[in-house]
Amino acid sequence: VSRAVITGVGAVSAFGVGVDALWNGLARGAGAISEIRSFDAGTFPTRVAGEVPVAAASTALLADHLRLERDVLPLISQWEADGTLRDRKTPFALLAAAEAWGSAQAGASEKAASLSLASGLEQCFLEDFVSLFRDGRIDWNSDRASALPKTRFRSPAELPARCLSELFELEGRTIVNASACAAGTLAVAHAAALVERGSAPVVLCGGTDSLVNPLALGGMSRIGAPSPRAERDACRPFDRRRDGLVIGEGSAMFVVESEERARARGVKPLARILGWGSSGDAHRPTAPLPDGSAAARAMERALSRAGLGAGDVGYVNAHGTGTLLNDPAEARAIRKVLGAHADRVPVSSIKGAVGHLMVASGAIELAASLLAFERDLLPGTANHRERDPECDIDVIGEMPRAAAVDVVLKNSFGFGGQNATLVLGRVR
Amino acid sequence: MRIFVVGAEAVSVCGVGRAALASHPVLRTGTLLPSRQLARTHPGVGAAEVPEIPEEAELFSPRATARMSRASQLASIAVKRALREADFRDARHEIGCFLGVGGSGGSVGEVEAMLSTSVTEGALSYRLLGNVGLSACNPLLTFQTLHNFTLCHPTIAEGLGGPNGAFFSRGAGTLVALEEAAASIREGDCTRALAGGADTALHPVTWAELARTGYAENGLIPGEGAGVLALTSSGEGALAELESVAIHRARGKTLERVTTRALHEVAAGAPALPDHVVIAPWGDASRACLRACVEARLQRVAMTDASRIFGESLAASPALAWVLGVDLLVRGAATRVLVLSHGIDEELGWVQLSRGGAR
Repeated sequence: VSRAVITGVGAVSAFGVGVDALWNGLARGAGAISEIRSFDAGTFPTRVAGEVPVAAASTALLADHLRLERDVLPLISQWEADGTLRDRKTPFALLAAAEAWGSAQAGASEKAASLSLASGLEQCFLEDFVSLFRDGRIDWNSDRASALPKTRFRSPAELPARCLSELFELEGRTIVNASACAAGTLAVAHAAALVERGSAPVVLCGGTDSLVNPLALGGMSRIGAPSPRAERDACRPFDRRRDGLVIGEGSAMFVVESEERARARGVKPLARILGWGSSGDAHRPTAPLPDGSAAARAMERALSRAGLGAGDVGYVNAHGTGTLLNDPAEARAIRKVLGAHADRVPVSSIKGAVGHLMVASGAIELAASLLAFERDLLPGTANHRERDPECDIDVIGEMPRAAAVDVVLKNSFGFGGQNATLVLGRVR
Repeated sequence: MRIFVVGAEAVSVCGVGRAALASHPVLRTGTLLPSRQLARTHPGVGAAEVPEIPEEAELFSPRATARMSRASQLASIAVKRALREADFRDARHEIGCFLGVGGSGGSVGEVEAMLSTSVTEGALSYRLLGNVGLSACNPLLTFQTLHNFTLCHPTIAEGLGGPNGAFFSRGAGTLVALEEAAASIREGDCTRALAGGADTALHPVTWAELARTGYAENGLIPGEGAGVLALTSSGEGALAELESVAIHRARGKTLERVTTRALHEVAAGAPALPDHVVIAPWGDASRACLRACVEARLQRVAMTDASRIFGESLAASPALAWVLGVDLLVRGAATRVLVLSHGIDEELGWVQLSRGGAR
């Protein structure tokens, strides 16, 4: 088996465009949650988010950041004109992918790459229905040609993937993972699987999402997932005072290939992908299995595939949503898998700092986890101040912890009960 | 490691269950029954719609049904039946489940209720939406339906806790689901897994999108359904063997070139050629191309057009064609079946099945 490695990373988050913005923010122990600026959320139950600090997802923004070998400006301009960029998760994916592609020193010889993308919900544009809305009903017969044909009513779920494939002229297959909040981690795991099976020489992979829009924000609020407090410390993972999550947006993308291939072209890997696993809660659509046993199975499957034991794990980057139900269930899962080692294996969640990126959460948190290998620094848990006895694990507080660990275990759990775990290893 | 099909079930225009496929009618434009689901928004659109689901197939309480998308309901029925046929009764927390899934599936009536309270003077008011519009419905569950709930409703109902994955699909994602299910068995993540797809093209937003982008004018018959295969590494009592799964990228190339090349490769390397080909094209041009390629490369082969039976059911289309292929093998109408699916994502899916465990 040819071990898969990560050779490039790019990120867009509430800290800004670029993985350095993410790493620097986390290294400072900072938070990036703020009042929503992209629309008037004044009457919404949730009014704070981990919003990417860009005025608009426009041609100008992309032109500033995309550094590709060919002139892509005409293509981007066309996308802006036809509405392709309307759903922010598409431009976020393009920005993160371009950074990952560049950091992996990818070029023409990587165009055979496949794409494994975790792509968020179709964004519904409620305003598109207004012109068809008469006497309490939508008059579908009056639907005519639109100036924004690509995203009329909703943005297709596969649109970011199509754009990535076109922009990077990828010749490999396209896979769109739709496994809710487990999808980002599963998409990277799938990339590693394709490389190890010899099904793809290189895979551009990761996740992108933006639920910072009226319907998604309103929908999440109806479920009762977000914190009711419109404050910057609204998300407090594993904290006794936690009362819900904060929605975030953004993207993280990676270039994954075999270690032999990376070394042959003179690129030092950022991390090895040692193992992965998934499981299903089979419990409830929007609540985790309280005893964490199903989540533990995903972690055990990942460690088993990696050929590692509990004592090998140096750090756990948790799903850690800051909700009443998730955090204790995850803590129980971690303790079940790590046993006595759980007393000394540091655990943290970055959702207090950047919010819950939903489908992209696993991807952005994997990017954050690379801090452990790049700077010997484990990200802190923003707003974690009071230990909860229900979460009986070693949670890193607000500031990052200096430590040189060799193995990182990353958890992601999704609505519907999908659980995913990925194991990363340091490359010396 | 060899992978066997020990259960194959479908819900389609033919009705509930694989047995219903044997008496399928052939769909012809102009003779289709108008869709009930589109009756209010797009009256008169002919469709390959699942008939009223018989009471014995109803698996859910009315309350649960109200929270499930159409695709989730169809998937749940097919999953339950496939598990039963495969006799996958024990240790369900170890059974994997991988599905190709589609997009929105919620109620347009609820969207209208939300608009009624949120539009003022011909414009959408976010203030009103936040204040009162959101109380009309939960947009996350009624309009922007979570894609993976098509997978998760059945896994929750059936207690399936093994490895899993939901892949957004306009065709190829469902092939990915089958690939991953087989790989999860081969790589030791589980010993039994389900794979398939469920979707509907009969949601008003989906149909508006398909009509606006020209698919309706090119022979696409909207349909819906779910198809699920139960897989294991043991050939005992198997309905079929899953010999190969592949996805050939047709985007940017001609379908003819991709199909011809794929058929050439299999003709050169396969131990035996298929005696029956099931094609699942998405429209007239795709149909003509697949037919011509198969006829040119595989002489004296029988051919069945699954899209003429099931219509275009998006994420469900390839899976329904697989179940049809298994049915041909089980009924003795073929010994080796090749299923070629070509979805609106322009990818060519390839699945080869042979009878029982014999090879």
